[in-house]
Parts: sequence; structure tokens; C-alpha cells
Amino acid sequence: MAKNKTLKKGERGHLSDLKIGQRAKVIDLHNDNAALRRRILDMGITKGVVVEVLKAAPLGDPVDIALRGYELCIRKSEMANIDIEVL
Amino acid sequence: MKIALIGNQNSGKTTLFNLLTGSNQKIGNWPGVTIERKSGIIKGTDFELNDLPGIYSLSPYTSEEAVSRNYILDEKPDLIINIVDATSIERSLYLTTQLMELDCGVILALNMADMLEKKGLTIDEKVIERELGLQVVRISALKKTGIDELIEKIKVYDGKKNSVKTYPQPIEAAIEEVSDTLSDDNNKRFVAVKLLERDVLYNIDSDSVVMSCIKALENRYGMDTEMMIANFRYDFVGEVVSKAVRQEKKGATITQKLDKVFLNKWAALPIFAVIMCLIYFLAVGFVGSFTVDFIGDLMDKLGVIVGDGLKNLGASDWSLSLVRDGIIAGVGAVLGFVPQLIILFLCISVLETSGYMSRIAFMLDKVFKRFGLSGKSLIPFIVGSGCSVPGIMTARTVEDESERCATVVLTPFVPCSAKLPIITLFTGTFFGSLGWLAAAGMYLMAIAIILVTAICLKKFYFKGSPSNFISELPEYKLPSPRYVLRDVVEKTAAFIKRAGTIILLCSVVIWFLLSFGWNFKYGVDIEDSILASIGNCLAWLFYPILGEWSWAATVSAIQGLVAKEQVVSSMAVIAGLAEDAGGASILNAAIYSFFTPASALGFMIFNLFSAPCIGAIGAMRRELGSTKAMFKAVALQTTIAWVLAVIVAGVGNLILLL
Repeated sequence: MAKNKTLKKGERGHLSDLKIGQRAKVIDLHNDNAALRRRILDMGITKGVVVEVLKAAPLGDPVDIALRGYELCIRKSEMANIDIEVL
Repeated sequence: MKIALIGNQNSGKTTLFNLLTGSNQKIGNWPGVTIERKSGIIKGTDFELNDLPGIYSLSPYTSEEAVSRNYILDEKPDLIINIVDATSIERSLYLTTQLMELDCGVILALNMADMLEKKGLTIDEKVIERELGLQVVRISALKKTGIDELIEKIKVYDGKKNSVKTYPQPIEAAIEEVSDTLSDDNNKRFVAVKLLERDVLYNIDSDSVVMSCIKALENRYGMDTEMMIANFRYDFVGEVVSKAVRQEKKGATITQKLDKVFLNKWAALPIFAVIMCLIYFLAVGFVGSFTVDFIGDLMDKLGVIVGDGLKNLGASDWSLSLVRDGIIAGVGAVLGFVPQLIILFLCISVLETSGYMSRIAFMLDKVFKRFGLSGKSLIPFIVGSGCSVPGIMTARTVEDESERCATVVLTPFVPCSAKLPIITLFTGTFFGSLGWLAAAGMYLMAIAIILVTAICLKKFYFKGSPSNFISELPEYKLPSPRYVLRDVVEKTAAFIKRAGTIILLCSVVIWFLLSFGWNFKYGVDIEDSILASIGNCLAWLFYPILGEWSWAATVSAIQGLVAKEQVVSSMAVIAGLAEDAGGASILNAAIYSFFTPASALGFMIFNLFSAPCIGAIGAMRRELGSTKAMFKAVALQTTIAWVLAVIVAGVGNLILLL
């Protein structure tokens, strides 16, 4: 994931592809674990929500993102299941 | 009237609960402090208030969140006070939209109103009141504002229900259609929505009205109903927030500035290491060696004074010995550690209330993930360095079931405050000025044991699904001195109380078993005492560690099951009765002269890492859910401790020979 080139504005990808400071709109989310998907929805990651990557943990994972006026920590493996479009 | 306190994690429910009921429940600044329902009566009324674990939704994710949902659905409170963190209002109101679907009335308490200005937020609560059809009270549980107004609103609450439509017309129509088919009259709207969401806790027939509604909606909106309903809820909330909340641009907040340092890519881990070392250096090293000697001297003097006093009163030999060698020696040996415990409790309390705890979990999640644990397992471990019992219970915030069980089994490996006396006594006596290094080594060893055991558990025992880590990062807060003080006093008082009850009782029993032989005559040589013969039966267990047939060390270690500090207390009583104490430390007594630094280390390792005390074993049983699992865990812990102790003592003695 880290090796990927930076996604440009308007390009689509996964939330885990974003670099720190980038903002994106969530397009879809899929997860094999239904309970986990539900949890992610409940935490406000729904279609159309705008998220910003704020910082990563010192070891690179998990990542701290801002959405809906608060900060959420989430692992990259979960972020890989969230489709986004870069803003 | 039965009232439930419902809100997101870390929204200040327990702070408000304490304020309204005048009680002193544990608070903290990390998501998931409250794991059980607590009841109290609101001051000046006869209303029963129930504090519940924080939830983000009525579809619970962890076991402690299920407590909240079940309470609302089964106990049917008359009123819900929905506490909303005003600084993250959007996410908080998402839960409110679900509470509004219940039959129960809701009063919204807009908490942390004092923090809004700092974040550049202004909220018009009149707009929220109008849009949601709920009563809204602006409060600050921390600054204690708006509380009287909240109580007033509760008193005049008339049970009237609002009816606000949250969803677009097609969904509302489907809800209507489904609720008409429901036979049970309770929470019809709520149940209808849950059915449409395909909630796992409800069964849906494939040819039912529900299913046809779901199909129709999914065709119309092009997504599954679960996502659809979550989306429209957030859309509704977004609408309300855009009308009621104004956000001004503000510079970096204090939290952002602090995180630049505490979560800095390079500095974060070193800072964490320094903080943890400082805590245990203060508690174990610095204050430890200083105060333990001081109180030890004090106890010796007390023993002499009381002894002389009793002699002057004409007390018999045996009563004199009971008081001096049994009670004062046994209880005194434990009380000496109170100052270091105060420091340890103080540090943990500050860690918990400042907001740093969540950052520790965030920082080290990646490391712990490798070992089959979650970053959140660290919170039980740190709480467990105070006492294993709350540590084990805190493991409930770990979402994944196998990670949670592993955390429960591993938490007792962290040396708790009652094990601190053992560490201080042995490292102080055998390693002199390097004692603190040996003590630090014990904590490092605990970490190593935890990680290695975690890997083994994952490999052979819990083969669960890969886990996840989803947590909000709370803002930093200055710990409230009043709360921290109360917390420390309470924990310290509990330790002292134990010294005055369990430890006192054990000391008397030990004294009795030491002073009497099987012929029940007072004044036998302790080698012929009842305790010695019991110890001799079991001493083989410890022979590989000690390299000596020692009944005294054996019986002391076994008493660790009652309470870990009892190990030290028992050794002190035995040393006192052996009559040749007269050294700086209990361990200088002739009866313990066989200890080499290596066997002392081994013996200490066994006591630190073997089965925890009865209290912690009970907590493990509750959290693992079966007696069998508990016995397995205890056997595992004791085996690891014993094997490790034998290896360390053996290798250590070899090194000493060279």
C-alpha cells in the first residue's frame, strides 16, 4: 500500500491509499465481517461522508482519521475495505 | 421512576452519575471505563438512576455494550437521559436518532458545554430541541453547571413522546407497514427498524412482509438496508447539525499540539518508555527503599513499646508473642509498603484521566497485533499493575472474543501492587544498590512472558478470526485533582483495610500454627510446629527452585493465594518467631540463610507469575465464563512461573559458581 503512488484529486481508491493530510469522500464499504461493517457504519463512515487522514501511529498503523467532527483510530486492514474518491 | 443514562463512550456519563447521585464510581478518559450497570438514587428525589456502559449504536459490538442495549429493551426504563458530547455532536446524535425510536422518553443532556468555545463551536440548543422534538439541557458535568436545571426537567417530565420522522417517505412507509404486522406492542417503531436492518438478533421469514419491504427498498436505493438506514440517520443528523451548530476556524487545539509531541513518529515510543520507567522507578525504587526501611523501624519500635507495656501489665508469654511476633510483625510487614502504593495509584489514576491511555493503545496496537492481542489489551495490563481484578474486568473493552480471553489470562502476569512488597523485599535484600535494576527486570520479564504466552495461546488455543481496532481518540484533559485524590485514598484505604482484616487474621493463624506442635502445647521449637510439618510435606515443590528443603518459604508462597502481600507478611512472622531476626531485613534471619541471589530471584519469579490471589482468580472465572477455563488458566500461569523460576535459579546458581 505504501508503495503506491499518491492518488490525485478525483481519483478513486481505498481509504488505506491516502497519504497524511489528504481528504476524500467515501463511496462504498464492504467487509466480510458483518458485525465489523456495522460498527464502521455506526462510527459514521457512511456513503458520502468526507474523511481526512490526520496522522499515523509511530509504527505506521493504525491511522487516525477525522470525520464528522471527531477523531477515529482504525487499522489499515479495515481502511482497505473502504472505497473513496480523493477530494 | 427508573432512569437510564445512555451515551457514547467517554461522553462523561459516570461523571454525571457521580454528580447526580453523590457516589464515587470510577471515571477515566478513555472509551470503555464503565463495564457494568451501576444504580444510584438522584439526590433529593426518589428516582433510580442507572449508569450504563457507553454505546455508539443500539446494535452492540462488545459484550459490555450489550449490557446497555439489554437494559433498555428488557428493563424498560421510564426515561432515558441521553448524554451527548457537545464537541462531537454529529456522531453522538446518531445514537439519539435510535433512542428516539423507542417508546421511552428522552431528555438530551448536552455535556462538555465548557469545551465548545475552545473548539470554536457554537450550538443553538433551541434548534436541536425543535428539530428532534426532545428537551435539551446544556450541562458541564466537570464544571457542575446546568445540573439543577437537568434535575428540574426530570422532575417535571410528563412522559409525552415526540414523533419526528427521521427517514425519507418510502422508508417511513415501510416502517409503518412492518410495525402493523407486529403483535408485541412494545417499542414497535424500534423493532420495525431493526427488522428492516436485518438485525442479527431478530429472525426474519423469507416470505414475510418484512422481506418484501427490504427488497423493495434495496431496489429503490441501490444499497443494502443496513447501510441505507445508517446513511439516512446520519443525513438527518447532518441536517440538524448544519442548522444548529456553527464552526469557526480555530488554530491548533491543545490536544493537537500535545499529540505532535506524544504521538510524534520518532519521539512517541521513547516518551512512553520514559513515562512508564518513571512511574515504576518512583514507586519501586526511589520511594520504595526509603519508606519501607522507615516504617520497618517504626514497627520495630512499636513492637518493643507494646511488648514492654504488656509485660508491665503482667501479660503471659504467649499473649505477648501473639501481639508482637504475630500481629505487629505480620501486619507491619505489609503496612510498610503503603507509601509506594500511594505513588503507584496516583500515577495510574493520572494516566487514566488524562487521555494518554488511549494513545498508548493507539501507539502500540501494531506491535500487539503481531502477538495476537489488540492495542486495547494494554489498558487492562496498565490497570492491572494497580490491581489485577479491575484489570481483568477492563478486558471487556477488547472487541474480539479470543483476544479478550487471552487478555484475561495474561493480565495477572503484570505485577500488581500487592506483589510490589515481594519485589521490594527480595531485590532490596539481595541486590543492594542495584535493587531497582532487578525490579525493572521483573517488569520487563512480565512483558516478555505476556508476549510469548500470547503467541502460544494464539497458535494452539484461540484460533479466532483476525481482529480489528476501532476506537476514538479522546481529547487530553487535565486530571481533576479532587477525583484523583479520592481515587488514591479509596484504593489505599482498601489495601490498609485488607492489612487490618485478612492479613491480620492470617498472621494470627500463622502465629498459632508456628507456636504450637501437634500436641497443642505452646512454646515448641518452630521446627516442630504444625506449620513446619505442613510445609515439609509440600517443600518438594520448591526444592528445584530453592535448592533447599524449606518449609518456611513453602508455606509463605502458598499463602500468596490469599493475597500476594501475605507472602511477605508470613515470612516476617516466621522470621520473628525464629528469634534470630536481628538483621536489616526479614530475609537476614537464619531460617532464610540458604537463599542465594539466584534462588531468591527464582522464588520471587514464582510468586510474581504463578496463580494470582483468590480475588483475581474469581474475576478470571467470571470473565472466562467457566470454572474449567479458569482452572486451565491458573494451571498455565503456575506452570509457566514454576518452570521459569527453576530455570532462572539453576542458571543463576551456575553463574554464581563461576
